Amino acid sequence: MIEILEETKGKDGRRNIRVAKENLVALIAELKSQGYDHLSLITGIDKKDKLEVVYHLHNVKENQYIVVRTETSDERVPSISSLYPSANWEEREQYDMLGLVFEGHPNMKRLFLPESWVGHPLRKNYDLSKVQYVNMDEDGNDYATFDPGDGW
Amino acid sequence: MKSGEGGALTTTVDKAMEWARSNSLWPLTFGLACCAIEMMAIQASNLDISRFGSEIFRNSPRQSDLMIVSGTVTKKMAPRLRRIYDEMPYPKYVIAMGVCVIQGGPYHMGYSVVLGVDRVVPVDVYVPGCPPTPEALTYGIMLLQKKIRNEADR
Repeated sequence: MIEILEETKGKDGRRNIRVAKENLVALIAELKSQGYDHLSLITGIDKKDKLEVVYHLHNVKENQYIVVRTETSDERVPSISSLYPSANWEEREQYDMLGLVFEGHPNMKRLFLPESWVGHPLRKNYDLSKVQYVNMDEDGNDYATFDPGDGW
Repeated sequence: MKSGEGGALTTTVDKAMEWARSNSLWPLTFGLACCAIEMMAIQASNLDISRFGSEIFRNSPRQSDLMIVSGTVTKKMAPRLRRIYDEMPYPKYVIAMGVCVIQGGPYHMGYSVVLGVDRVVPVDVYVPGCPPTPEALTYGIMLLQKKIRNEADR
């Protein structure tokens, strides 16, 4: 039996499950076997001392949604890309924007920004005063550069 | 252009070239965000820009001489935009459409948006609005034609 930390119901009757990150993969595999066959969204929240990861799963046949939340204090979360192939890019997006490292992911690289970009933009401690730009070399590969001035 | 009384038409070559250029502006299909929806409207039958010599939107930068930058220019798009601009043949003109393109607009404090497309390519006419109405863009194109004919109000 998978240990669930907290379960609440939203206004629309949507189940909200909070789980420890060690039990995350087992819980999502269990939900997938119950018919939640569509991974709608993976998103993340920066809570300063910890990061929260939110998974929205959808049961297409019964039109039911479920929200699974987990927290991490060391930026590391187990990957679910072996269960849902669409999680591959969703997890890469969260790595790009929030710096969440998904363990077991086959290709943990940035999705949108070039690899040389400094920082993760959706983190609360992201330094907006240093303006970075994206440049393209002759082969069409992106690389990031800093504004030589003071930014704003 | 001056027309003589005897039916003769006299002008300079420069004037004729400017007139020809201003009345055959071929815009590039370059929609980046929601402003592109308003840009589409100006070539439809209601506000037909063919009346002013701007024909169908061309799909290749090599066939066009007017780039309407319509929509937010992100930092990732900026080098691509510059490359497309470099591929256009001379003489070429740029219209900056909407506040996002002019100075960043609602995304001014964002990490990913270029604060004005004039940091990337030279801009001839700025059309403010969020988004500008198709009429405003048509007016912008007419201002650009005036500018090409060297008679714009400064």
